Amino acid sequence: MITFINFYLIPGVVLGCIYALGAIGVSLTFGILRFANFAHGDIMTFGVYITLTLVLLTGAHPLLVAPVAMALTALLAVAIDRLFYRPFRSSPAIMLMIASLGMMLMIRSVVRFIWGVQLQSLVRGIEQPLAWLEPLRLLPKHLLIITGAVVLMVAVHLLLTRTKIGKAMRATSDNAELARVCGIDTETVIRMTWILGSVLAVAAGVFLAIDTHVETMMGFRLLVPMFAAAILGGIGKPYGAVAGGLVIGIVEELSAYPWIGTEPLLSPSYKAGVAFTIMVAMLIWRPQGLLHGRRF
Amino acid sequence: MEQLYGYVLYGVTLASMGGIYALLALGLNIQWGFTGLFNTGIAGFLAVGAYTQALLTTPLSSRHIGGIELPIPLAMLCAMVLSAIVAYGVARACIRLRSDYLAIATLGIAEILRLIFKNELWATNGPRGVSQIPRAFEDLPPPWNAIAFMAMVLLIVLVVYLLMERARVSPWGRMMAAIRENEEAAAAIGKHVAHYRTESFVIGAAMMGLAGALLAQYLKQIDPQVSEPVTATFLVWVMLIAGGSANNRGAILGAFLIWTIWSATQILTGFLPNEFVAFGYTVGNLQVRSAYVRVFLIGLILQFILQRRPQGLLPEKRPAASRPSSAHTDRDSS
Amino acid sequence: MKKLLSVVALGALMSSPALSADVKVGSVAGVTGPIAELVAPILAGRNLAADHVNAAGGLLDGNRLVMIQADSQCDAKAAVDAASKVVNVDRVVAIVGASCSGATSGMAQAVTIPAGIASVSDTSTAPSITDLDDNGRVFRTVPSDAYQGATLAQYAYDLGFRRLAVTYANDDYNAGFAAVFAATFPELGGTITASQAHEPAKPSYRAEVATLASAGDAEALALFAYYGGSGITIIRNSLEAGLFSRFLGGDAMVDQSVIDRIGADTLRGNIWLTQPISEEDSVSHMAFADAFAARGNDPQAPFAAHGYDATFVVALAIEKAGSTDSAAIAKALTQINDPDGEIINAGEWAKAKAAIAAGKAINYEGATGSVDFDANGDVPGSYGISTVGGKGTWQVAPIH
Repeated sequence: MITFINFYLIPGVVLGCIYALGAIGVSLTFGILRFANFAHGDIMTFGVYITLTLVLLTGAHPLLVAPVAMALTALLAVAIDRLFYRPFRSSPAIMLMIASLGMMLMIRSVVRFIWGVQLQSLVRGIEQPLAWLEPLRLLPKHLLIITGAVVLMVAVHLLLTRTKIGKAMRATSDNAELARVCGIDTETVIRMTWILGSVLAVAAGVFLAIDTHVETMMGFRLLVPMFAAAILGGIGKPYGAVAGGLVIGIVEELSAYPWIGTEPLLSPSYKAGVAFTIMVAMLIWRPQGLLHGRRF
Repeated sequence: MEQLYGYVLYGVTLASMGGIYALLALGLNIQWGFTGLFNTGIAGFLAVGAYTQALLTTPLSSRHIGGIELPIPLAMLCAMVLSAIVAYGVARACIRLRSDYLAIATLGIAEILRLIFKNELWATNGPRGVSQIPRAFEDLPPPWNAIAFMAMVLLIVLVVYLLMERARVSPWGRMMAAIRENEEAAAAIGKHVAHYRTESFVIGAAMMGLAGALLAQYLKQIDPQVSEPVTATFLVWVMLIAGGSANNRGAILGAFLIWTIWSATQILTGFLPNEFVAFGYTVGNLQVRSAYVRVFLIGLILQFILQRRPQGLLPEKRPAASRPSSAHTDRDSS
Repeated sequence: MKKLLSVVALGALMSSPALSADVKVGSVAGVTGPIAELVAPILAGRNLAADHVNAAGGLLDGNRLVMIQADSQCDAKAAVDAASKVVNVDRVVAIVGASCSGATSGMAQAVTIPAGIASVSDTSTAPSITDLDDNGRVFRTVPSDAYQGATLAQYAYDLGFRRLAVTYANDDYNAGFAAVFAATFPELGGTITASQAHEPAKPSYRAEVATLASAGDAEALALFAYYGGSGITIIRNSLEAGLFSRFLGGDAMVDQSVIDRIGADTLRGNIWLTQPISEEDSVSHMAFADAFAARGNDPQAPFAAHGYDATFVVALAIEKAGSTDSAAIAKALTQINDPDGEIINAGEWAKAKAAIAAGKAINYEGATGSVDFDANGDVPGSYGISTVGGKGTWQVAPIH
């Protein structure tokens, strides 16, 4: 049992937290701007590389410099929106999706051109689990990731429920027409969506980089689990995205558990398929997601 | 002279690949352009066709199943049929989904198919793929073998184009456009919307399967990378949107144009030196870096086409002149 | 047509010996594909060889060797397109590449074999490349997986390991390598406690590692992966979970970043990686390594030395053929390893040029080993073992 918790459940929760933070941005963009943003993962990568540069320059802990990277990345996201997405506000979703695809290629090329493709890391070496939690094996960085994710999620919750702009965002996500009629400034809402989405994406990316390493495809590789989490939770529902992210993360790790005998239930080479399968199954049987997200 | 000969041969390869992409774009045009089905699983149907062709025509090998050595045209037919069958299964489950959801579902299904091709070693040789696939006309002396293959591809594109043009102005084609623009109205006048959508999805997928069969022959080697989504799915979308959605000529033009841009931008990187020295500091691997610039440029060209010609190079032509042309704006806002 | 053209080309060369046109060689690699981080140092290796040639007299009559780069993206579609471009438009006389066995196989079958152009791959290890009906056109400076898997199994057994868990990234390179290893190790008397494929490039492998460990008390983990794809992550996850502390693997793991990310003290004495090396001594390898490091590159980077050798043998073959005729070059590739010939080490271009000019036979001893092509264009595998040395870098020692 303790093996199950230590080696399957805790890693699943850590991964789930990272997915969840990224998925909030995907879900909000999907809900408010009505398109699947393929560039979200590469926005994340960009933020991580900015963090890496700041860490190399200052020698500070990644979490201390991450806010600067978040600000710069948010600025980039807003600028990209202004230049490449705004012309398509009233076009079909496919135009925005293809524009985001082009953006994905462009951002990745810039990252590779500036920083190269070699692996880098924010934190070096191997950590030992926290002694005071025995027999639970929890690494300090995992405690940091889980705590950080919870703090950010609470902050998002407060933003969405207590502030005027947050309420406007939820209203726009639920019903854009109605929100506009009620006098909500859609452009402000959209700007805020990009800022919030990229801040959370950078946070997820930095957490992932602390856990593993920094490379140019790291964000792109998270894209599908993030989409899956957003759909699982219900499009446009930030809380649903959090739940979806946790579920996808945990299920991915548990799929390798030897439920029957000593062989893994599912060959780990099919691990990437877990997120897809959940996603497709949800779309077919419960497209509104777990939390009654927006239906198109 | 020799240089010119080289350009001609390069043109033959461009046209062969362009033709294969044109088939994919035409298939997508039936699904998206005619009927409004947001299929992002092109790579999956392409892979089904390619693997069918490969496994049915290659000689017996210990690495994968097969050894039937079917004649090439028969295998191409099988590739189309199998792709259509898979598409029918997908359609049964997903065809009622609205556009964005259908897009994500098909993307997911294509990736699951790719994982199956990659993991079922006994059948497909897994990530190492299938090689020594026979290609039509390969026994002719060079360069005629390549030219004959290109001619076959272009002929198939022409036939498919002519068939699609007939379909487009037929009652069936008008029905599809009606469903695309106003599903409720089409249903209200007693049309089985799901039935028509399934038909369109399956026909489009069969063409993608055919393109896969041609691709397998052209490359003589396939592995799960052929269904990598960027070049197998999204590039096709770019082609269709750039060329002109719902316009068959646009789809073909877009395919050839975008593939040429995709391929020929490589020529630019060849002109760069490997490194240059500035302020006593060597900036190395310039050619490596230039490959990233190339991808950046492709993204930028894409943005440019999207913003400057959102209707595509050849906008849709309606079979009936009296229809309003506001379709593109209200297609996804329901 | 081709013959006619080559006669014309030869005639042109003979009639105007002072002409110092560039000789173009295609450099096809997966620059933007899934193994982009591996490809950058490989290209640096290729370019170093080209620079060595050009700095010491160039090819033939002082012609510059120019590497025309094209992106094969680790994908047959892209490789065929890229090769077609360099062959037809740039009129290259030979090709170095491609990366990834699928890309190389597609490129060879669809473009280079029909065009009669020789290609020398520095990364494609799939056994199926040996069987290609290639008319003597496809070569590689990297040994087929068949050798390395068996070598690692024998070495692991000799180290005293009897129970090993195996995991491999499910790609063309690692899957084949692992299959040979997993077949050989039990034949020697060892036991494979569990063997699992994993999907590369996932953010975590903790569950996979735990499942591998739970299947029986393995003494070490045999890990077949690219260091960037999943290798480092799996080592990290294993160590952090305290499940495996010792690792065996192959040359795709030998990279300085592995030590930098995990820590030299943790890995020292706990990791053994096979790597192709020079047979008798490593003078040639050191010559390459010093020159490569002087440019700020990591000489241990996987396949970088193979990239150097692949380019160098192509240059030697052009010189040996005495022309830029592709058929002559393909033939000459089998004539640069005469056992009685003058030994040429990596970097010794001037010596090679002089020997060829004097009509002497040559024997290239490359940075990675003897580079003796057999009838299939394959090289024999001669391996060393890389371990973490005192300075926190990889150290290679020959296997005795």
